[in-house]
Amino acid sequence: MHTILYLIQKEFRQILRNKFMLRLILIAPIMQTLVLGHALNTDLKNVKLAVADLDHSRASRELVSSFFASDLFRPAKVSATPGDIEQIMVRDDADMVLWIPEHFGRKIAKGENAVVGIYVNGTNSSLAGLATGYASAILRRQNETIRRQRLDANPRMAAAVFEVKPVSRFIYNPELETRYYMIPGVVVLIVTIISGMLSGMAIVREKEIGTLEQLLVTPITPLQLIAGKTIPFAIISFLDIGLVTVFGILYFRLPFAGSVFLLSGATLLYLLVTLGVGLLASTVSQTQQQSMFTVWFIMIFAILTSGFFFAIENMPPVVRAMTLVNPLRYFLSVVRGVFLKDITPMDAMPDLVPLAVIGVIVFGAAVARFRKRVA
Amino acid sequence: MRQVLAIARKEVMHILRDPRSLIVAILMPLMMVLLYGYAIDMELRNLPVAVLDYDHTPASRDLVERMTSSNFIVNAGYIGNRAEIEKGFRRSHFRAGLVIPDGYGRDLARGMDTDIQIVIDGADAATAQAVENYLSAVIAKINRDLLQSRFGDRAQIPVEARTRIFFNPELRSPSFVVPGLTAVIMIMICALLTSIAVTREKETGTLEQILTAPIASYQVMVGKVVPYMLIAAIDTALVLIVGRLVFHVPMEGSWWVLAGYSLVYLFISLAFGLLISAISKTQQVAMLMALLITMLPSLILSGFVFSIASMPRVLQWIAHLVPATYYLRVIRGIMLAGRSWFPFEGGVMLLMAAGFMTLAVKRFKSRLD
Repeated sequence: MHTILYLIQKEFRQILRNKFMLRLILIAPIMQTLVLGHALNTDLKNVKLAVADLDHSRASRELVSSFFASDLFRPAKVSATPGDIEQIMVRDDADMVLWIPEHFGRKIAKGENAVVGIYVNGTNSSLAGLATGYASAILRRQNETIRRQRLDANPRMAAAVFEVKPVSRFIYNPELETRYYMIPGVVVLIVTIISGMLSGMAIVREKEIGTLEQLLVTPITPLQLIAGKTIPFAIISFLDIGLVTVFGILYFRLPFAGSVFLLSGATLLYLLVTLGVGLLASTVSQTQQQSMFTVWFIMIFAILTSGFFFAIENMPPVVRAMTLVNPLRYFLSVVRGVFLKDITPMDAMPDLVPLAVIGVIVFGAAVARFRKRVA
Repeated sequence: MRQVLAIARKEVMHILRDPRSLIVAILMPLMMVLLYGYAIDMELRNLPVAVLDYDHTPASRDLVERMTSSNFIVNAGYIGNRAEIEKGFRRSHFRAGLVIPDGYGRDLARGMDTDIQIVIDGADAATAQAVENYLSAVIAKINRDLLQSRFGDRAQIPVEARTRIFFNPELRSPSFVVPGLTAVIMIMICALLTSIAVTREKETGTLEQILTAPIASYQVMVGKVVPYMLIAAIDTALVLIVGRLVFHVPMEGSWWVLAGYSLVYLFISLAFGLLISAISKTQQVAMLMALLITMLPSLILSGFVFSIASMPRVLQWIAHLVPATYYLRVIRGIMLAGRSWFPFEGGVMLLMAAGFMTLAVKRFKSRLD
């Protein structure tokens, strides 16, 4: 036990001696949360909309102002004419053009139907898709208003109208703040990077510099060495989770609904995986570069298929099947659940069990491999 | 020149001796393109919604039928009571619950208003919003059909939109993923490889041995970085080839123009790598720094996935310091819109290349001499 404590102490000294590492551990997570919390926002704002209003009627002006009523759209610096719409798009002067033809107002007033044109710049397809969705929602509301006006003008008709009224209720996040969903994801990301990368490099670094052999001639057993090389990173990971969580609660007013106990338990299981991967990578690698690249390769793959950026339901069946062995996916689901939904350990079981299985397999393999290499 | 070549040859031998790193450096970008291209679809699909039907009439079944007729929403099954909705949310079994009250069909048949309730898991705000929009659109359509059946054409939609999407009409995600990934991969691979190569020699102490040889420090620098620049260039080419052949990403502009702008961007990436290696003493630091200052900003702040205009002011300023922001506009413009002249973006990139390179060379030399 003493030996392990000494090893942990040694590892911490080594980490703390390097000012950059200290900054990386303490400041980088906060910075990342700050930037990602603000940037990872799928709410659209300030979409540049150019208007070609050939009608200049009250109805057309009402339609235009309904687009600019929120901060979703803002007027582009150029005004459009029907002939130069494509040119405006090519020059990136507008993301969307709204074209209102002549006689639009007259048709609406007469109770006829009118057509407007919406032209979208599709070079950024996610932005284009969202903006188109918002535009049709605005049009739908405008249509509701017009239809209501028409019905009100005809009391006999109005009395005969009945409809299905949807009542929507959002639970867990009634104001629909994207960052409440994103920041728990950032917590997961930071734990993954810190624990995976640091442990992946720790042993191989000693190998590369030649100090590993010195350690091995001392009466330290391989298991003690493993403990000494993994526990410090587990401690740092917990520290960072705490740091980011507190920062998120104080700065972003992130709700924390669930139990600290469940979060810690899941983190412990997840650390088995990341530290195991790091350890495994460092036993099969000769240089830090190799080890880092291996960890990095696995990590990017895991992050992309975890549901962090992109919903798993959306993936094609083959990729969706691959996500079943992705530990990050399970951990992410538990962390988001704890933060937002106050899930109970029973709710988390479908995630915790696979996480534990993967953790035990990976860490076990790493230990076995390491002992074989060293002994 | 001979000295430069000798250093370059030594570097190539280093690279070839460690095939695993080389494979990762080449496979990684390919994997990212394939994965992003196949798996990432910004359009939402197959969102599970549970139904709590207290009504059990043909009308309520018709409502459910209409809700699930597109592949946006799938029916996650019928549930028996309200408590199951929240339980399903906590276990992430479905995203929303549709509650159809008793008497829904009867009220509609009598010509009375009816309420239905939609309970949505708001944790994932963006998806929740999309689900809400979709469900309300379906209900609006039902109401329109009701009106139409009573009043005929007078109840039609007053304003109809004809939407046309330029440059990427089907909004295929590969067409936006491949150019974006090119910007991320080039700077990431180039900065990572060069900074690690230099710091490794620092760490193992061989850099001093090279410097005692009769070679000027700029020759060492050039010789060391050229092989890695080549790898980064090969990666870029591979990403574009896969994008073209596998995902049929259009190429409206000229390859030569793209190559020209890419070369400038490659120089910026290289300058980043050299700067990182001048600042950091160990490979560990170099690697983490390379990931932090190249990969994350290029992925998140460049306008690749998240719109810059929607970010808070301070982040917008930072976004305009990220080289990928400009390169991304150029490569999208060339590939999708067929432009070739980018005076502003091109100018900024040239300035960045010159500025960062001067800074890097200065730092590098002062460290070596």
